[in-house]
Amino acid sequence: MASAPAWGVAPAPLRAEVEVASNRDEGAGNHRIALRVPGFPGFAPGHFAMLSPGALAAAERTDPLLPRPMALYRASGRGGDALVEVLYKVTGRGTALLADTLPGQRVRFLGPLGVAWPEPAPGETAVLVGGGTGIASLYELAARLEGGDVRVLLGARSARDLMGRDDFASLGVPLEIATEDGSEGVTGLVTALLDPVLAGAAAVRVYACGPTPMMRACAARAAAGGRSCFVSLENNMACGFGVCLGCAVPVTRGGYALVCREGPVFDAASIGWEGLP
Amino acid sequence: MNAAVDERVDLGGIALRNPVLTASGTFGYGTEFAPFLDLTRLGGFVAKSLTLEPRVGNPPPRIAEAPSAMLNAISLENVGVDAFVEEKLPALPDGVTVIASVFETEIDRYAEVCKRLSGVPRIAGLEVNASCPHVKSGGIEFGQDPKLLSQLVAAARGAASGPLLVKLSPNVTDIAEMARVCEGEGADGLSLINAVQAMEIDIETRRPVLANGLGGLSGPAIRPIALRMVWQASRAVAIPICGIGGIRSAEDAIKFLLCGARAVQVGTSNYLDPGVALEVAEGLRDHAARQGLPRVADLCGSLDFPHA
Repeated sequence: MASAPAWGVAPAPLRAEVEVASNRDEGAGNHRIALRVPGFPGFAPGHFAMLSPGALAAAERTDPLLPRPMALYRASGRGGDALVEVLYKVTGRGTALLADTLPGQRVRFLGPLGVAWPEPAPGETAVLVGGGTGIASLYELAARLEGGDVRVLLGARSARDLMGRDDFASLGVPLEIATEDGSEGVTGLVTALLDPVLAGAAAVRVYACGPTPMMRACAARAAAGGRSCFVSLENNMACGFGVCLGCAVPVTRGGYALVCREGPVFDAASIGWEGLP
Repeated sequence: MNAAVDERVDLGGIALRNPVLTASGTFGYGTEFAPFLDLTRLGGFVAKSLTLEPRVGNPPPRIAEAPSAMLNAISLENVGVDAFVEEKLPALPDGVTVIASVFETEIDRYAEVCKRLSGVPRIAGLEVNASCPHVKSGGIEFGQDPKLLSQLVAAARGAASGPLLVKLSPNVTDIAEMARVCEGEGADGLSLINAVQAMEIDIETRRPVLANGLGGLSGPAIRPIALRMVWQASRAVAIPICGIGGIRSAEDAIKFLLCGARAVQVGTSNYLDPGVALEVAEGLRDHAARQGLPRVADLCGSLDFPHA
């Protein structure tokens, strides 16, 4: 991985009202929205944005009040032509409202935000483990590591629930799938796919994003084998840039870390997993 | 046309370039907002409440959504008064009007924080947050008991050399009485309202959504409550009032000025849109211009309500 791209420095976030280019239902509650974001400064794998349907400074909609943090999935073009894709699942009123947004309508955008996935160290195999909506924060990482020593393990309830499956499949990276109902790949949880990989490779860095029990299991498996593991945590946020202090998670150094500012990507060993709600 | 409107107001001895500030706890230590707006163009900002020592906040979950509102129970998390003076203040650009907020659990500790902030050149004034529970009185907020509030303001007044604002709790029966208590003890101005005590429940777990159980409700849902309280307080005292509660547009801010506020603070809306406070200030100025008013301050207390 000597040729791993450098993406450590986060660009300054952009506050903008942007236009919806497309917004599609991809089945099983999964949606894909593409936003035209003039002046988009680019992003690194793992960065997120705060999204809220409606115009800036518009007082007409006050409910639901808070913007929603969403992993940045993919971006194409630059400057005035930048198109930013976000994959999301409708899980409540905020995401339902986003799903109702039509092409041409406006969405408030604040991003990129947060700490990106670290690059793998030379000689390390990058093992990307995605579960459910957590898959969305791994696509850009997989894309940037394409051609290197990388493996992707994705899991979901069923084949229909696999977010971005075809995008991952069209990358030149080894892809393994687990579904709980056995409709695609191995039957069971994605963590079952991790065990043989951890046992096989000499130096591994795990990148996990998904439900908390999945990330906790990845962290435990990696720690048991003395492997490095990074996770991207999800949390409710009011701001996304370190002032509401709402997204605190317990950390092993004592006290709390903010998912928005010190994360969402953390070294799994730094998280106080037992204190996570 | 806009250039002709005088936006300046005096808030209890604090000279503001316009009447729009940002509320404590919603604006961090200021620098977090530097990528999104020019801090020097704000009327000012009230920094996150400071305690004598640095404090860690509550366990999660700390926030929850409610209709047109949010609940929070962050508690006292802050860097402490000394780190604020030594590290946070110098990081701010010149020309930013900074009001420091003071939050403690005992009166002598409040006074000590006020003392340490007094005379610091970059600080234009202090705002005493009276919504902290008084541990010795079984957790009642200082601002809920007129006697406690009176002792608190007297102690802060004695310790603070500059302008002193008191931020009132809305969790009271008679806000006018609390306003008079503060005025009587020498407060230079009042800020109101703080968050409304509230609770939200998860019916599946049968538990409160917040780990702390109770939290403070803020956002557009509390704006009419805040307007009512600002109006009542403004009729009870002569000292200026800074209106707070659910402001997210110039129209909202104008309503507070009409009800008697001299200035306003934008709170929860800073989270949702970190550039909104300046847009409120610009909208206020444009509104005054459209109305042909020479000064934005001419809106203050001009409510047409004959039964007042």
